Amino acid sequence: MTSIGTGYDLSNSVFSPDGRNFQVEYAVKAVENGGTAIGIRCKDGVVLALEKLVSSKLLKKDANKRIATVDRHVGVVHSGLLPDGRHFVSRSRDEASSWRSTYKAPIPVSSLANRMGAYVQAYTLYSSVRPFGITAIVGGYDAETEVDVDGAVGSGPKSGSGGKSKGVKEGGPYLYMIEPSGLYWGYYGAATGKGRQSAKSELEKLKLDPKDGDCISLEEGVKEAARIIYVAHEDSKDKDFELEMTWISAVSGPTKGRHEEVPKELREEAERLAKKSLEGEDEDEEGKMEE
Amino acid sequence: MAALSSYSMPTEQPAFSFQNQPQSHASGGPTQHSFYPYTDNGGSTLGISGSSFTIIAGDTRMTSGYNILTRYAPKLFRIGGEGPEHAGAKIVLSVVGFAADGQALQERLDMVVKMYRYQHGKDMSVHACAQRLSHILYNKRFFPYYVQAILGGIDEEGVGALYSYDPVGSYEREQCRAAGAAASLIMPFLDNQVNLKNQYEPDAPQGLEKPQLQPQPLDRQTVEELVRDAFTSAVERHIEVGDGLQMMVITKDGIEELYSPLKQD
Amino acid sequence: MNHNPQAWGRPRDDVYGAYNSQYLPQHHGGPSAHPTTHTQSPIVTGTSVIAIKYSTGVVIAADNLASYGSLARFTDVKRLKPFNRKAVVGFGGDVSDMQYLDRLLSSLDVQENYSHNNDDPEDTKALMSAKNLHTYLAKVMYKRRSDFNPLWNSLLICGLDEKNKPFLATADLLGTTYSAPTLATGFGAHLAQPLLRKAVPDEEASQKLDKETAVEVVRECMKVLFYRDARSMNEYSIAVVDEKGVELKEKEKLENQSWAFADQIRGYGTQTV
Repeated sequence: MTSIGTGYDLSNSVFSPDGRNFQVEYAVKAVENGGTAIGIRCKDGVVLALEKLVSSKLLKKDANKRIATVDRHVGVVHSGLLPDGRHFVSRSRDEASSWRSTYKAPIPVSSLANRMGAYVQAYTLYSSVRPFGITAIVGGYDAETEVDVDGAVGSGPKSGSGGKSKGVKEGGPYLYMIEPSGLYWGYYGAATGKGRQSAKSELEKLKLDPKDGDCISLEEGVKEAARIIYVAHEDSKDKDFELEMTWISAVSGPTKGRHEEVPKELREEAERLAKKSLEGEDEDEEGKMEE
Repeated sequence: MAALSSYSMPTEQPAFSFQNQPQSHASGGPTQHSFYPYTDNGGSTLGISGSSFTIIAGDTRMTSGYNILTRYAPKLFRIGGEGPEHAGAKIVLSVVGFAADGQALQERLDMVVKMYRYQHGKDMSVHACAQRLSHILYNKRFFPYYVQAILGGIDEEGVGALYSYDPVGSYEREQCRAAGAAASLIMPFLDNQVNLKNQYEPDAPQGLEKPQLQPQPLDRQTVEELVRDAFTSAVERHIEVGDGLQMMVITKDGIEELYSPLKQD
Repeated sequence: MNHNPQAWGRPRDDVYGAYNSQYLPQHHGGPSAHPTTHTQSPIVTGTSVIAIKYSTGVVIAADNLASYGSLARFTDVKRLKPFNRKAVVGFGGDVSDMQYLDRLLSSLDVQENYSHNNDDPEDTKALMSAKNLHTYLAKVMYKRRSDFNPLWNSLLICGLDEKNKPFLATADLLGTTYSAPTLATGFGAHLAQPLLRKAVPDEEASQKLDKETAVEVVRECMKVLFYRDARSMNEYSIAVVDEKGVELKEKEKLENQSWAFADQIRGYGTQTV
């Protein structure tokens, strides 16, 4: 059943007779045109990467960052309508900051995803608003070490009641993707935007499920992320793009538990490898043709 | 009697081993704040205006009780000009008293003078600035900036201008003024040396009608020497004054800053 | 039962007396005569913080004790808080106010990191310097004293300024600020400051001082403070801030204590001569 002309697509809060909310589906269309964004949950951290399509040659290179820091340990990348993404990020920051002032601790990534999922969903309910035209990928690291509850007097009992239980670890790397409907799941690898199909099939080839044995490290993740963005860009090769990448490791890792940009040297190395692997494929194809 | 009553005689009732009896809250009145929002950071300032210049000076010691908090805390501030360096400024404010209020006052006046230039496209005159400073102080008269301010510059005729203030904004233009801890030591010296008070025509015959010497505008060299003498003497007699002497000479060409050490004892 | 549903299920006034709303907040029918009250004195307190500038950085130290009056209440309280790799704040005075400021600084740091990432060399300039942090904290302190709701602390803010030169300044509960090559709060102003000034009499001397001597002088001062300040303890934190970043040690013990001077003291206690 087509939505055009039936009248069921004119408003939020109105279902079509076969149970669809067309406004939300149009929002998904907005996302499908955005630059590819991916997230990879590795063994010891999360990588976020974005194919930032260059909309004008007059824009300064490497400026206008699109992957946002929401809290020390959380980053968000989104694809779709940029201003909607800005608002999503702003709300995420408010949630993270209010969690800190209530609980004196950083917000768990799952809780942030839950709250932002609820927030995005609320925009599908009312006729006075439109849904978010973005899909957001939320990546973060819940500290495994017993975080110093900031402002604590002393360090508390070493064991026993109110103390620490030995060998129990919580936290680790987390990755969530929130869609315009408000739907969100936790992922090992997430992709959205124009090149999501090829990105997803590349992600599926990676070892990301800890149940299948050792999964890839953060540094491998960075290189894979760069490669996948380059692969995903193949379909829209005529357009220029910049690769933007951020990462979050454990407190013991390279980013010390913070969400940070991937250092320039590492990013350039990853890009070099990504280009090389693509050239390799081309050569193979050419070789086949010759045969 | 007052001396007697400060000593508490032994009584039958249980007493405290220390002198200060706890204050009774049983009266039902609201508990009063024991926080006092002011302190005195000592130091002294001084300003003298001439026919084509104004000199403002202050020591750089900052104290709290018997403690020297720092040996270099300027009490002289350039007002206006461009950027955080106040390039091209031609007004100087000196503040002495409670340093935190002095800092806050300086920042406000500087902002006002800079905004004036952005909005009107010309520098604020000293007399306008002086009036504005009075308003700033007066507006906070129920919770005053606890400072004695002196404002100096060059007026629209090119003559040295000097304004002195009390903490709630009462002000007047003067030839010279000393403020702060050693004001009572320096001011009489200035009365005598600048305004030639109690100086008479030496050649005139003795008697009631002996004519006073008339004050003449002083040259820059003389004023600088007066300022140095005033401070070296004040340092000898006042514990809150010392460490360094900062001077700002305002002429039509701008502000010249001079620094010389004072005794650190 | 009566005909007033609002009274059903509530204790009867004629049996139990009227409800005492004395302790309720004003908007729930509590007493209205009371004015808003604020901190009137510190409760749990930390003692001195001391710091000294040297050629390329700053050394700062404070012990790990939080006292409740004369009771040594908490013995593992860290009073030096690193803000970023350019700035450390040392807190003296009320511990709860320190915790408030610490949370304020945490949220400030989170906000600072919204806009830039640290790896871009151009961005290092935008990194908040110790000087920026001092200005911010001084304004917080002055605002609170002007509201008659002071944060009962003496702060030392140290690190590097925007030109990566050593920076050291203070802010207290009145909003008073000043800067010097050596600074000490609380008892340290009486006991440590003279020793620090002997090592570094002026700015020029501090530019010639090397890191090792600076650390040594500070450790010596911590020892003297422990000898003479009754609200101090022998475990302390010490931090060095320079271009390499913040090096913070939080479990330092006083070493080579000498109590030989003790039996030379006359005028207290039970000695007869």
